[in-house]
Amino acid sequence: MNNGAGEGGSQRRELHGKSKLFLGNDFAYAIAKMAVAQICESAEVNVYQESQTREGVRFSSFQESALETLTDVAIRYIQSIGMSAHLYANIAGRREGNSLDIVQTLEDLGSGLGFAGVSDTGRCLADSGVVKDIIRYTGEAEEMPFVYSLPRFPINKEKRPSPSFSEVGAESPDEHIPVWLPAFPETKLCNRSEETIVGTVEGGPPSKENGPSLSSLQHSFNGGRLEVLNSPKDDRKSKEEVEGNPFLTAPLRFVEKELSPVFHPLELSNEVARTSHVPDKHLSNDHHIPVLEASAPWDEINKRNMIVESEDGEKKGGARPQQTLVRFKIGTLKRPSCFAINRSVQEHGWFQEGEDKWEKKSEIKEKRERIDLGIVESDVN
Amino acid sequence: MNHGQQSGEAKHEDDAALTEFLASLMEYTPTIPDDLVEHYLAKSGFQCPDVRLIRLVSVATQKFVADVASDALQHCKARPAPVMKDKKQQKEKRLVLTMEDLSKALREYGVNVKHPEYFADSPSTGMDPATRDE
Repeated sequence: MNNGAGEGGSQRRELHGKSKLFLGNDFAYAIAKMAVAQICESAEVNVYQESQTREGVRFSSFQESALETLTDVAIRYIQSIGMSAHLYANIAGRREGNSLDIVQTLEDLGSGLGFAGVSDTGRCLADSGVVKDIIRYTGEAEEMPFVYSLPRFPINKEKRPSPSFSEVGAESPDEHIPVWLPAFPETKLCNRSEETIVGTVEGGPPSKENGPSLSSLQHSFNGGRLEVLNSPKDDRKSKEEVEGNPFLTAPLRFVEKELSPVFHPLELSNEVARTSHVPDKHLSNDHHIPVLEASAPWDEINKRNMIVESEDGEKKGGARPQQTLVRFKIGTLKRPSCFAINRSVQEHGWFQEGEDKWEKKSEIKEKRERIDLGIVESDVN
Repeated sequence: MNHGQQSGEAKHEDDAALTEFLASLMEYTPTIPDDLVEHYLAKSGFQCPDVRLIRLVSVATQKFVADVASDALQHCKARPAPVMKDKKQQKEKRLVLTMEDLSKALREYGVNVKHPEYFADSPSTGMDPATRDE
Protein backbone atom coordinates (compact mmCIF):
# COMPACT_ATOMS: atom_id res chain seq x y z
CA MET A 1 0.00 0.00 0.00
CA ASN A 2 2.71 2.35 0.97
CA ASN A 3 4.72 1.39 -2.04
CA GLY A 4 1.78 1.92 -4.29
CA ALA A 5 1.12 5.32 -2.87
CA GLY A 6 4.73 6.25 -3.38
CA GLU A 7 4.71 5.14 -6.97
CA GLY A 8 1.48 6.93 -7.52
CA GLY A 9 3.01 10.07 -6.16
CA SER A 10 5.94 9.92 -8.48
CA GLN A 11 3.72 9.18 -11.42
CA ARG A 12 1.45 11.94 -10.45
CA ARG A 13 4.32 14.30 -10.53
CA GLU A 14 5.24 13.16 -14.00
CA LEU A 15 1.69 13.48 -15.19
CA HIS A 16 1.56 16.87 -13.65
CA GLY A 17 4.55 17.90 -15.67
CA LYS A 18 2.92 16.57 -18.78
CA SER A 19 -0.28 18.41 -18.15
CA LYS A 20 1.74 21.53 -17.67
CA LEU A 21 3.07 21.06 -21.14
CA PHE A 22 -0.32 20.59 -22.65
CA LEU A 23 -2.55 22.85 -20.68
CA GLY A 24 -0.21 25.44 -19.34
CA ASN A 25 -2.51 26.05 -16.46
CA ASP A 26 -1.75 23.90 -13.49
CA PHE A 27 -3.88 25.64 -10.97
CA ALA A 28 -7.08 25.52 -12.95
CA TYR A 29 -6.40 21.98 -13.99
CA ALA A 30 -5.82 20.84 -10.44
CA ILE A 31 -9.04 22.43 -9.30
CA ALA A 32 -10.94 20.92 -12.18
CA LYS A 33 -9.55 17.55 -11.27
CA MET A 34 -10.68 17.91 -7.71
CA ALA A 35 -14.11 19.02 -8.78
CA VAL A 36 -14.46 16.12 -11.19
CA ALA A 37 -13.35 13.69 -8.54
CA GLN A 38 -15.87 15.14 -6.18
CA ILE A 39 -18.66 14.84 -8.70
CA CYS A 40 -17.71 11.27 -9.53
CA GLU A 41 -17.56 10.36 -5.92
CA SER A 42 -20.90 11.76 -4.94
CA ALA A 43 -22.99 11.37 -8.05
CA GLU A 44 -23.25 7.64 -7.71
CA VAL A 45 -25.06 7.78 -4.45
CA ASN A 46 -28.01 9.52 -5.99
CA VAL A 47 -28.22 7.05 -8.79
CA TYR A 48 -28.28 4.13 -6.47
CA GLN A 49 -30.72 5.66 -4.10
CA GLU A 50 -33.28 5.24 -6.80
CA SER A 51 -32.46 1.61 -7.36
CA GLN A 52 -34.06 -1.01 -5.25
CA THR A 53 -30.94 -2.26 -3.60
CA ARG A 54 -30.32 1.14 -2.10
CA GLU A 55 -26.70 0.38 -1.70
CA GLY A 56 -24.64 3.43 -1.37
CA VAL A 57 -22.28 2.18 -4.00
CA ARG A 58 -19.86 4.67 -5.34
CA PHE A 59 -16.41 4.93 -6.63
CA SER A 60 -14.03 4.78 -3.79
CA SER A 61 -10.92 5.42 -5.78
CA PHE A 62 -9.81 6.42 -9.20
CA GLN A 63 -7.20 5.43 -11.61
CA GLU A 64 -5.06 8.44 -12.05
CA SER A 65 -5.21 8.31 -15.81
CA ALA A 66 -8.96 7.79 -15.81
CA LEU A 67 -9.50 10.77 -13.57
CA GLU A 68 -7.27 12.93 -15.67
CA THR A 69 -8.98 11.80 -18.83
CA LEU A 70 -12.35 12.63 -17.41
CA THR A 71 -11.05 15.99 -16.29
CA ASP A 72 -9.74 16.67 -19.75
CA VAL A 73 -13.07 15.76 -21.23
CA ALA A 74 -14.90 17.97 -18.78
CA ILE A 75 -12.65 20.89 -19.58
CA ARG A 76 -13.16 20.26 -23.25
CA TYR A 77 -16.86 20.21 -22.60
CA ILE A 78 -16.78 23.61 -20.95
CA GLN A 79 -14.62 25.04 -23.65
CA SER A 80 -16.71 23.66 -26.46
CA ILE A 81 -19.77 25.14 -24.80
CA GLY A 82 -17.96 28.44 -24.70
CA MET A 83 -16.88 28.26 -28.30
CA SER A 84 -20.23 27.26 -29.73
CA ALA A 85 -22.12 29.74 -27.59
CA HIS A 86 -19.75 32.42 -28.73
CA LEU A 87 -20.32 31.32 -32.29
CA TYR A 88 -24.07 31.45 -31.96
CA ALA A 89 -23.90 34.85 -30.33
CA ASN A 90 -21.76 36.13 -33.15
CA ILE A 91 -24.06 34.68 -35.75
CA ALA A 92 -26.91 36.52 -34.12
CA GLY A 93 -24.86 39.69 -34.27
CA ARG A 94 -24.14 39.92 -30.59
CA ARG A 95 -20.88 40.24 -28.77
CA GLU A 96 -21.92 38.58 -25.56
CA GLY A 97 -23.79 35.34 -25.37
CA ASN A 98 -27.10 34.90 -23.64
CA SER A 99 -28.87 31.94 -22.16
CA LEU A 100 -30.41 30.83 -25.44
CA ASP A 101 -26.99 30.55 -27.03
CA ILE A 102 -25.94 28.25 -24.25
CA VAL A 103 -29.13 26.22 -24.50
CA GLN A 104 -28.59 25.86 -28.22
CA THR A 105 -25.04 24.75 -27.58
CA LEU A 106 -26.14 22.23 -24.98
CA GLU A 107 -28.61 20.86 -27.47
CA ASP A 108 -25.82 20.51 -30.00
CA LEU A 109 -23.60 18.73 -27.53
CA GLY A 110 -26.41 16.55 -26.32
CA SER A 111 -27.66 15.67 -29.76
CA GLY A 112 -25.35 12.69 -29.94
CA LEU A 113 -27.06 11.08 -27.03
CA GLY A 114 -30.47 12.47 -27.67
CA PHE A 115 -32.92 14.16 -25.38
CA ALA A 116 -36.62 14.64 -25.11
CA GLY A 117 -38.11 16.52 -28.01
CA VAL A 118 -35.20 16.48 -30.42
CA SER A 119 -37.42 15.48 -33.29
CA ASP A 120 -39.76 18.40 -32.79
CA THR A 121 -38.40 21.06 -35.06
CA GLY A 122 -40.83 23.82 -34.25
CA ARG A 123 -40.25 23.93 -30.55
CA CYS A 124 -39.06 26.89 -28.63
CA LEU A 125 -35.49 26.88 -27.52
CA ALA A 126 -36.46 27.79 -24.00
CA ASP A 127 -38.52 24.63 -23.86
CA SER A 128 -35.57 22.43 -24.67
CA GLY A 129 -35.37 18.92 -23.32
CA VAL A 130 -31.80 19.55 -22.34
CA VAL A 131 -32.84 22.32 -20.03
CA LYS A 132 -35.52 20.12 -18.55
CA ASP A 133 -32.95 17.45 -17.92
CA ILE A 134 -30.72 19.91 -16.20
CA ILE A 135 -33.60 21.21 -14.13
CA ARG A 136 -34.44 17.67 -13.11
CA TYR A 137 -30.81 17.03 -12.30
CA THR A 138 -30.56 20.06 -10.08
CA GLY A 139 -33.71 18.92 -8.35
CA GLU A 140 -32.44 15.40 -7.75
CA ALA A 141 -28.79 15.86 -7.08
CA GLU A 142 -27.94 17.14 -3.72
CA GLU A 143 -26.34 20.50 -3.70
CA MET A 144 -22.72 19.95 -3.03
CA PRO A 145 -20.42 22.89 -3.10
CA PHE A 146 -16.75 22.56 -3.84
CA VAL A 147 -14.83 21.06 -0.96
CA TYR A 148 -12.37 23.82 -0.48
CA SER A 149 -12.94 27.48 -0.48
CA LEU A 150 -10.98 28.77 -3.37
CA PRO A 151 -8.63 31.64 -3.07
CA ARG A 152 -9.40 34.43 -5.43
CA PHE A 153 -9.05 32.82 -8.78
CA PRO A 154 -6.25 34.42 -10.73
CA ILE A 155 -8.28 35.58 -13.65
CA ASN A 156 -8.75 39.13 -14.61
CA LYS A 157 -12.40 39.84 -14.20
CA GLU A 158 -12.08 43.49 -14.91
CA LYS A 159 -11.20 43.01 -18.51
CA ARG A 160 -13.74 45.29 -19.98
CA PRO A 161 -14.01 46.64 -23.48
CA SER A 162 -13.52 50.31 -24.01
CA PRO A 163 -16.58 52.32 -22.97
CA SER A 164 -19.14 53.15 -25.57
CA PHE A 165 -20.45 56.55 -26.47
CA SER A 166 -23.44 56.13 -24.25
CA GLU A 167 -21.30 55.09 -21.29
CA VAL A 168 -18.96 57.99 -21.71
CA GLY A 169 -21.90 60.31 -22.09
CA ALA A 170 -20.61 61.81 -25.27
CA GLU A 171 -22.60 62.10 -28.43
CA SER A 172 -21.40 60.27 -31.46
CA PRO A 173 -19.78 62.69 -33.87
CA ASP A 174 -21.90 61.60 -36.78
CA GLU A 175 -25.38 60.31 -37.15
CA HIS A 176 -24.36 57.11 -38.82
CA ILE A 177 -22.29 56.02 -35.82
CA PRO A 178 -24.51 54.26 -33.30
CA VAL A 179 -24.27 55.23 -29.68
CA TRP A 180 -23.38 51.76 -28.45
CA LEU A 181 -20.13 51.60 -30.34
CA PRO A 182 -16.94 52.26 -28.40
CA ALA A 183 -16.18 55.91 -28.08
CA PHE A 184 -13.43 57.43 -30.13
CA PRO A 185 -10.20 58.05 -28.29
CA GLU A 186 -9.28 61.56 -27.35
CA THR A 187 -7.71 63.27 -30.31
CA LYS A 188 -5.20 65.50 -28.65
CA LEU A 189 -3.00 65.74 -31.71
CA CYS A 190 -5.71 67.40 -33.73
CA ASN A 191 -6.36 69.94 -31.05
CA ARG A 192 -2.70 70.75 -30.76
CA SER A 193 -2.32 71.16 -34.47
CA GLU A 194 -5.30 73.44 -34.54
CA GLU A 195 -3.71 75.49 -31.84
CA THR A 196 -0.54 75.70 -33.83
CA ILE A 197 -2.54 76.79 -36.80
CA VAL A 198 -4.09 79.53 -34.79
CA GLY A 199 -0.74 80.41 -33.34
CA THR A 200 1.38 80.37 -36.45
CA VAL A 201 -0.87 81.44 -39.22
CA GLU A 202 -1.45 85.07 -38.70
CA GLY A 203 -3.98 86.89 -40.71
CA GLY A 204 -5.26 83.65 -42.16
CA PRO A 205 -8.90 83.32 -43.00
CA PRO A 206 -10.96 82.56 -39.92
CA SER A 207 -13.18 80.00 -41.61
CA LYS A 208 -11.96 76.51 -40.78
CA GLU A 209 -12.83 74.87 -44.03
CA ASN A 210 -10.86 77.06 -46.33
CA GLY A 211 -8.31 78.15 -43.83
CA PRO A 212 -5.97 75.18 -43.54
CA SER A 213 -5.74 74.39 -47.22
CA LEU A 214 -5.10 77.95 -48.25
CA SER A 215 -2.62 78.57 -45.53
CA SER A 216 -0.87 75.33 -46.28
CA LEU A 217 -0.61 76.40 -49.86
CA GLN A 218 0.77 79.65 -48.72
CA HIS A 219 3.29 77.97 -46.54
CA SER A 220 4.40 75.52 -49.12
CA PHE A 221 4.65 78.40 -51.52
CA ASN A 222 6.81 80.30 -49.12
CA GLY A 223 8.82 77.22 -48.38
CA GLY A 224 9.51 76.67 -52.02
CA ARG A 225 10.57 80.22 -52.48
CA LEU A 226 12.80 80.08 -49.50
CA GLU A 227 14.38 76.91 -50.69
CA VAL A 228 15.03 78.29 -54.12
CA LEU A 229 16.41 81.45 -52.74
CA ASN A 230 18.55 79.71 -50.21
CA SER A 231 19.87 77.02 -52.47
CA PRO A 232 23.05 78.82 -53.42
CA LYS A 233 23.78 79.40 -49.77
CA ASP A 234 25.04 77.07 -47.17
CA ASP A 235 23.53 73.60 -47.29
CA ARG A 236 23.16 73.28 -43.58
CA LYS A 237 21.23 76.44 -43.32
CA SER A 238 18.88 75.35 -46.06
CA LYS A 239 18.46 72.08 -44.28
CA GLU A 240 17.50 73.87 -41.14
CA GLU A 241 15.06 75.90 -43.10
CA VAL A 242 13.70 72.78 -44.65
CA GLU A 243 13.33 71.10 -41.34
CA GLY A 244 11.67 74.14 -39.95
CA ASN A 245 9.32 74.58 -42.84
CA PRO A 246 7.67 71.19 -42.89
CA PHE A 247 7.21 71.54 -39.21
CA LEU A 248 5.27 74.69 -39.74
CA THR A 249 3.44 73.59 -42.82
CA ALA A 250 2.84 69.98 -42.00
CA PRO A 251 0.30 70.53 -39.23
CA LEU A 252 -1.83 72.34 -41.71
CA ARG A 253 -1.69 69.37 -44.02
CA PHE A 254 -2.03 67.21 -41.01
CA VAL A 255 -5.44 68.61 -40.32
CA GLU A 256 -6.57 67.73 -43.78
CA LYS A 257 -4.98 64.38 -44.39
CA GLU A 258 -3.90 63.30 -40.94
CA LEU A 259 -0.33 62.68 -41.95
CA SER A 260 2.20 63.42 -39.30
CA PRO A 261 5.41 65.15 -40.30
CA VAL A 262 7.43 63.00 -37.95
CA PHE A 263 8.10 60.30 -40.49
CA HIS A 264 10.34 62.31 -42.77
CA PRO A 265 13.77 60.79 -42.78
CA LEU A 266 16.45 63.37 -42.41
CA GLU A 267 18.16 62.33 -45.61
CA LEU A 268 15.12 63.16 -47.63
CA SER A 269 14.65 66.56 -46.17
CA ASN A 270 16.31 68.16 -49.14
CA GLU A 271 13.99 66.45 -51.50
CA VAL A 272 11.05 67.30 -49.37
CA ALA A 273 11.86 70.85 -49.98
CA ARG A 274 12.05 70.10 -53.67
CA THR A 275 8.56 68.74 -53.65
CA SER A 276 7.38 71.64 -51.65
CA HIS A 277 8.07 74.04 -54.44
CA VAL A 278 6.13 72.06 -56.95
CA PRO A 279 2.95 73.78 -55.81
CA ASP A 280 4.76 76.95 -56.46
CA LYS A 281 5.13 75.84 -60.02
CA HIS A 282 1.55 74.88 -60.63
CA LEU A 283 -0.10 77.16 -58.21
CA SER A 284 -2.10 78.92 -60.85
CA ASN A 285 -3.36 75.70 -62.37
CA ASP A 286 -4.54 73.69 -59.48
CA HIS A 287 -4.85 73.95 -55.75
CA HIS A 288 -5.01 70.30 -54.92
CA ILE A 289 -1.40 69.44 -55.35
CA PRO A 290 -0.41 69.46 -51.69
CA VAL A 291 -3.33 67.20 -50.96
CA LEU A 292 -2.22 64.75 -53.59
CA GLU A 293 1.28 64.81 -52.32
CA ALA A 294 0.19 64.37 -48.80
CA SER A 295 -1.81 61.32 -49.71
CA ALA A 296 1.04 59.49 -51.43
CA PRO A 297 4.14 58.02 -49.84
CA TRP A 298 7.04 60.40 -49.70
CA ASP A 299 9.65 58.32 -51.40
CA GLU A 300 7.62 57.62 -54.47
CA ILE A 301 6.63 61.21 -54.79
CA ASN A 302 10.16 62.35 -54.48
CA LYS A 303 11.49 59.97 -57.07
CA ARG A 304 8.73 60.63 -59.49
CA ASN A 305 8.94 64.30 -58.97
CA MET A 306 12.57 64.18 -59.83
CA ILE A 307 11.87 62.42 -63.07
CA VAL A 308 9.02 64.61 -64.06
CA GLU A 309 10.75 67.75 -63.15
CA SER A 310 13.73 66.74 -65.15
CA GLU A 311 11.50 66.17 -68.10
CA ASP A 312 9.91 69.47 -67.54
CA GLY A 313 13.22 71.09 -67.38
CA GLU A 314 14.61 69.43 -70.45
CA LYS A 315 11.64 69.31 -72.71
CA LYS A 316 10.11 72.54 -71.46
CA GLY A 317 7.88 74.72 -73.54
CA GLY A 318 5.48 72.40 -75.34
CA ALA A 319 2.01 71.95 -74.08
CA ARG A 320 1.97 73.34 -70.64
CA PRO A 321 -1.45 72.04 -69.60
CA GLN A 322 -0.48 68.60 -70.83
CA GLN A 323 2.55 68.66 -68.69
CA THR A 324 0.55 69.56 -65.69
CA LEU A 325 -1.69 66.68 -66.52
CA VAL A 326 1.28 64.40 -66.71
CA ARG A 327 2.46 65.61 -63.40
CA PHE A 328 -0.94 64.99 -61.93
CA LYS A 329 -1.59 61.48 -63.04
CA ILE A 330 1.61 60.15 -61.67
CA GLY A 331 0.19 59.07 -58.43
CA THR A 332 -2.95 57.70 -60.01
CA LEU A 333 -3.73 54.96 -62.46
CA LYS A 334 -3.28 56.73 -65.79
CA ARG A 335 0.18 57.10 -67.11
CA PRO A 336 0.59 58.99 -70.32
CA SER A 337 2.46 57.15 -73.00
CA CYS A 338 4.84 59.99 -73.79
CA PHE A 339 5.94 59.92 -70.23
CA ALA A 340 6.58 56.22 -70.48
CA ILE A 341 8.65 56.62 -73.61
CA ASN A 342 10.69 59.40 -72.21
CA ARG A 343 11.10 57.49 -69.07
CA SER A 344 12.31 54.42 -70.90
CA VAL A 345 14.93 56.58 -72.52
CA GLN A 346 15.97 58.40 -69.42
CA GLU A 347 15.15 55.94 -66.78
CA HIS A 348 18.50 54.31 -66.42
CA GLY A 349 20.43 57.47 -66.32
CA TRP A 350 18.21 59.04 -63.79
CA PHE A 351 17.94 56.07 -61.61
CA GLN A 352 21.64 55.56 -61.66
CA GLU A 353 22.05 59.09 -60.67
CA GLY A 354 19.53 58.50 -57.99
CA GLU A 355 21.57 55.65 -56.68
CA ASP A 356 24.75 57.58 -56.85
CA LYS A 357 23.07 60.35 -55.03
CA TRP A 358 22.85 58.26 -51.92
CA GLU A 359 26.55 57.62 -52.02
CA LYS A 360 27.96 60.90 -53.14
CA LYS A 361 25.89 63.51 -51.57
CA SER A 362 27.90 66.62 -51.87
CA GLU A 363 28.27 66.48 -55.63
CA ILE A 364 24.68 65.65 -56.18
CA LYS A 365 23.50 68.46 -54.03
CA GLU A 366 25.18 70.98 -56.21
CA LYS A 367 23.79 69.27 -59.26
CA ARG A 368 20.34 69.31 -57.83
CA GLU A 369 20.51 72.94 -57.02
CA ARG A 370 21.46 73.60 -60.56
CA ILE A 371 18.55 71.52 -61.74
CA ASP A 372 16.25 73.35 -59.41
CA LEU A 373 17.26 76.65 -60.74
CA GLY A 374 16.89 75.33 -64.25
CA ILE A 375 13.43 74.11 -63.56
CA VAL A 376 12.36 77.33 -62.01
CA GLU A 377 13.73 79.25 -64.92
CA SER A 378 12.04 76.99 -67.39
CA ASP A 379 8.80 77.35 -65.57
CA VAL A 380 9.10 81.05 -65.55
CA ASN A 381 9.76 80.92 -69.23
CA MET B 1 -54.42 33.77 -35.50
CA ASN B 2 -55.72 32.00 -32.50
CA HIS B 3 -53.12 29.32 -32.87
CA GLY B 4 -50.43 31.94 -33.12
CA GLN B 5 -51.58 33.50 -29.93
CA GLN B 6 -51.59 30.18 -28.20
CA SER B 7 -48.10 29.35 -29.33
CA GLY B 8 -47.03 32.80 -28.26
CA GLU B 9 -48.40 32.18 -24.82
CA ALA B 10 -46.74 28.79 -24.70
CA LYS B 11 -43.47 30.38 -25.66
CA HIS B 12 -43.99 32.94 -23.01
CA GLU B 13 -44.47 30.19 -20.47
CA ASP B 14 -41.33 28.43 -21.67
CA ASP B 15 -39.48 31.65 -21.43
CA ALA B 16 -40.73 32.13 -17.93
CA ALA B 17 -39.67 28.62 -16.99
CA LEU B 18 -36.18 29.18 -18.31
CA THR B 19 -35.94 32.52 -16.56
CA GLU B 20 -37.16 31.00 -13.37
CA PHE B 21 -34.64 28.22 -13.60
CA LEU B 22 -31.86 30.68 -14.25
CA ALA B 23 -32.97 32.68 -11.26
CA SER B 24 -33.02 29.56 -9.13
CA LEU B 25 -29.43 28.91 -10.14
CA MET B 26 -28.44 31.90 -8.08
CA GLU B 27 -29.16 29.91 -4.97
CA TYR B 28 -27.80 26.66 -6.29
CA THR B 29 -24.10 26.15 -5.80
CA PRO B 30 -22.67 23.77 -8.37
CA THR B 31 -19.70 21.63 -7.52
CA ILE B 32 -17.55 23.11 -10.22
CA PRO B 33 -16.55 26.52 -8.98
CA ASP B 34 -17.80 29.53 -10.89
CA ASP B 35 -14.35 30.95 -11.27
CA LEU B 36 -13.08 27.80 -12.87
CA VAL B 37 -15.88 27.70 -15.40
CA GLU B 38 -15.51 31.36 -16.08
CA HIS B 39 -11.81 30.89 -16.62
CA TYR B 40 -12.25 28.14 -19.15
CA LEU B 41 -15.10 29.92 -20.87
CA ALA B 42 -12.95 32.99 -21.19
CA LYS B 43 -10.20 30.85 -22.63
CA SER B 44 -12.56 29.62 -25.29
CA GLY B 45 -13.58 33.16 -26.19
CA PHE B 46 -16.96 33.32 -24.56
CA GLN B 47 -17.43 36.26 -22.30
CA CYS B 48 -20.44 37.02 -20.25
CA PRO B 49 -20.80 39.01 -17.07
CA ASP B 50 -23.92 37.10 -16.05
CA VAL B 51 -23.23 34.69 -13.22
CA ARG B 52 -26.37 32.71 -13.97
CA LEU B 53 -25.13 31.68 -17.38
CA ILE B 54 -21.85 30.58 -15.92
CA ARG B 55 -23.76 28.59 -13.35
CA LEU B 56 -25.82 27.10 -16.15
CA VAL B 57 -22.69 25.94 -17.91
CA SER B 58 -21.31 24.72 -14.62
CA VAL B 59 -24.42 22.71 -13.85
CA ALA B 60 -24.52 21.31 -17.37
CA THR B 61 -20.91 20.21 -17.07
CA GLN B 62 -21.56 18.73 -13.69
CA LYS B 63 -24.48 16.79 -15.08
CA PHE B 64 -22.36 15.60 -17.96
CA VAL B 65 -19.57 14.41 -15.70
CA ALA B 66 -22.03 12.78 -13.34
CA ASP B 67 -23.71 10.98 -16.22
CA VAL B 68 -20.42 9.72 -17.53
CA ALA B 69 -19.36 8.65 -14.08
CA SER B 70 -22.59 6.82 -13.39
CA ASP B 71 -22.33 5.05 -16.73
CA ALA B 72 -18.79 4.09 -15.92
CA LEU B 73 -19.98 2.81 -12.59
CA GLN B 74 -22.58 0.70 -14.32
CA HIS B 75 -19.89 -0.80 -16.49
CA CYS B 76 -17.75 -1.35 -13.47
CA LYS B 77 -20.53 -3.12 -11.64
CA ALA B 78 -21.58 -5.17 -14.64
CA ARG B 79 -18.09 -6.53 -15.02
CA PRO B 80 -17.53 -9.82 -13.24
CA ALA B 81 -15.62 -9.02 -10.13
CA PRO B 82 -12.11 -10.40 -10.01
CA VAL B 83 -11.69 -13.29 -7.68
CA MET B 84 -10.35 -12.01 -4.46
CA LYS B 85 -8.31 -14.17 -2.22
CA ASP B 86 -8.96 -12.06 0.72
CA LYS B 87 -12.55 -12.25 1.87
CA LYS B 88 -12.39 -8.99 3.65
CA GLN B 89 -11.58 -7.18 0.49
CA GLN B 90 -14.40 -8.90 -1.31
CA LYS B 91 -16.82 -7.70 1.27
CA GLU B 92 -15.63 -4.19 0.96
CA LYS B 93 -15.86 -4.37 -2.81
CA ARG B 94 -14.08 -1.21 -3.58
CA LEU B 95 -14.94 0.19 -6.93
CA VAL B 96 -12.23 1.88 -8.87
CA LEU B 97 -12.85 4.12 -11.80
CA THR B 98 -10.67 2.61 -14.47
CA MET B 99 -9.83 3.70 -17.94
CA GLU B 100 -11.63 0.74 -19.41
CA ASP B 101 -14.96 1.65 -17.88
CA LEU B 102 -14.44 5.28 -18.54
CA SER B 103 -13.66 4.75 -22.21
CA LYS B 104 -16.74 2.59 -22.56
CA ALA B 105 -18.88 5.21 -20.88
CA LEU B 106 -17.40 8.06 -22.86
CA ARG B 107 -17.96 6.27 -26.14
CA GLU B 108 -21.67 6.69 -25.66
CA TYR B 109 -21.17 10.40 -25.38
CA GLY B 110 -19.22 10.62 -28.57
CA VAL B 111 -15.79 10.76 -27.00
CA ASN B 112 -13.43 8.10 -28.20
CA VAL B 113 -10.82 7.39 -25.61
CA LYS B 114 -8.53 4.49 -26.14
CA HIS B 115 -7.30 2.75 -23.12
CA PRO B 116 -3.56 2.43 -23.58
CA GLU B 117 -2.84 -1.24 -23.21
CA TYR B 118 0.47 -1.19 -21.46
CA PHE B 119 0.19 2.05 -19.58
CA ALA B 120 1.44 1.37 -16.11
CA ASP B 121 -1.02 3.37 -14.13
CA SER B 122 -1.20 3.20 -10.42
CA PRO B 123 -4.44 1.32 -9.90
CA SER B 124 -5.37 2.71 -6.61
CA THR B 125 -4.71 6.36 -6.37
CA GLY B 126 -7.23 7.87 -4.13
CA MET B 127 -7.35 5.00 -1.70
CA ASP B 128 -6.19 7.41 0.85
CA PRO B 129 -8.54 10.35 0.75
CA ALA B 130 -5.87 12.63 2.07
CA THR B 131 -3.61 12.03 -0.91
CA ARG B 132 -6.31 11.94 -3.55
CA ASP B 133 -7.37 15.51 -3.44
CA GLU B 134 -4.20 17.37 -3.18
